[in-house]
Amino acid sequence: MTDSAILYDSSRCSACKGCQSACKCWNGLPSPLGKEAGGCTGSYQSPLELNGDTRLLISFNEKRNEKGGIEWAFARRSCMHCVNPACAAVCPSGTLHVDEASGMVAVSDEKCIGCQYCASACPFGVPHHYGPEPTVNKCTGCVDRIEQGRVPACVKTCQPGALNFGDRAEMLAIAHERVALLKSKGFDKAVVYGEDELDGLHVVSVAKYGLDAAGLPENPQVNDIVDWLGIMKPLTGIGAGAILAGLGLSFLTGVGYKRHTLHYDEVAHDVVDMDTGEVLQHIDVDIDVERKA
Amino acid sequence: MTRYIKRHTLQTRITHGTLAVSCILLAISGLFVFVPPLTALVPPQVTLAMRMAHRVLGIVFILTPLISGLLAPKGAVHFFKNYFEKWDKDDIVWMKRFIPYMLAPKKIHMPDQHEIKSGQRIADGAMILGVVAMAISGALLLAGATFAELGAGLMMAVRLVHDIAFLWLIVFGIAHIYLGAGIFQPYRGTVRLMFGDGKISESDALYHWGHWAREEIDKAENVFDDGKGAVK
Repeated sequence: MTDSAILYDSSRCSACKGCQSACKCWNGLPSPLGKEAGGCTGSYQSPLELNGDTRLLISFNEKRNEKGGIEWAFARRSCMHCVNPACAAVCPSGTLHVDEASGMVAVSDEKCIGCQYCASACPFGVPHHYGPEPTVNKCTGCVDRIEQGRVPACVKTCQPGALNFGDRAEMLAIAHERVALLKSKGFDKAVVYGEDELDGLHVVSVAKYGLDAAGLPENPQVNDIVDWLGIMKPLTGIGAGAILAGLGLSFLTGVGYKRHTLHYDEVAHDVVDMDTGEVLQHIDVDIDVERKA
Repeated sequence: MTRYIKRHTLQTRITHGTLAVSCILLAISGLFVFVPPLTALVPPQVTLAMRMAHRVLGIVFILTPLISGLLAPKGAVHFFKNYFEKWDKDDIVWMKRFIPYMLAPKKIHMPDQHEIKSGQRIADGAMILGVVAMAISGALLLAGATFAELGAGLMMAVRLVHDIAFLWLIVFGIAHIYLGAGIFQPYRGTVRLMFGDGKISESDALYHWGHWAREEIDKAENVFDDGKGAVK
């Protein structure tokens, strides 16, 4: 498998949102049209979160500085394309799967049954569901473009060169080089994200102002339940097999079983074998009543 | 003359039958969510149909016992009360002999039992617990996938409960079918209790639930001649 990655360098990003638009254009995703159709949020970030028809979002972390001006930390919100994706692990229909050619977490829309397990499992809260019969909608890594030897649509359109695509090791090397440069210029919190988090991500980020400002979780964790869910399938198979085997053995030992017809003589309080006439059991009514009491 | 004892009312049998059919169909439709290779074998429309059927059947599965309980509250109380009856010596002996009996029914003889066997109380009780867990977790999963924001952690936990309850019900359900449908040779004919007229022959009743059978024969309220007319 080729280990590719998208590199996002927030120190180069101008937040033009060209990547957002390119993503929508390439994937044919709708946008609210008309004046203020998306609603006024008081932020340049629009929409406020990823949703069923927005797979990529440039987030604006806005902070007032000491001089009274505004400082922005831009970040890229989209699928992180985990090396070991929890969403694909819990996906029951095979909709989400790792693309062998690139390592990206690809989407086969037509297979989605809308269970939304992926949305629950993702440590970044990325998958959203969309449409009248909601099916999953998230960044596909543009595997359709990568297959054709092209780069993802967001990378292709990025004018300031904040987005890059290529071999993951190469993207990590560029990221580390950039962070070293930023630190040398006084950006002490600058950090590379995506190298070791969750065993590695296929989206590597340079967070110029640190993880908090970029809205990136410092130590993302996949819910332990994901592992348990993986165990449940074979366990259920074993359970069903074991009970069937046990009952099969029981059936075999019961072949040829016969018993006599029983009758209860309620006057004599005897249980009688109708085939032989033998009294099998005499019921002491007093003891029965006593036991009941 | 063969005498029969009435054990289950028509309402009980309809409730059980609806639950049994919906449970089996739920298991089949649920497999299309639980087993990805199965989904891969069929067109997406089939998977979607299974998913929708699973939801509708789930609602039937939840509402059926609730409606039945509301229609016959005394019967519902009697049903649950049986499971909390104090165990007597015969109950304990029956339970101790259960596994040897399942593997050597010709040699092992079981003691008399009351209306619900001790093993039945455990097995059916386990089924009821599994059904309740399945119903609650299923309703939450449906709510979370449609109109409610339950949060990722809760949804994952609920799904795990649903999967565990599925395993639980598969194990106890298969055993329940093996015994209840009379596949196990000593239980031949018991299928009639839930999928027939609800009556059991005197001989079978004495064999399975000796204490209960004798009490019923003594009372003679539910005893029928050749399965037709009441004896008294």
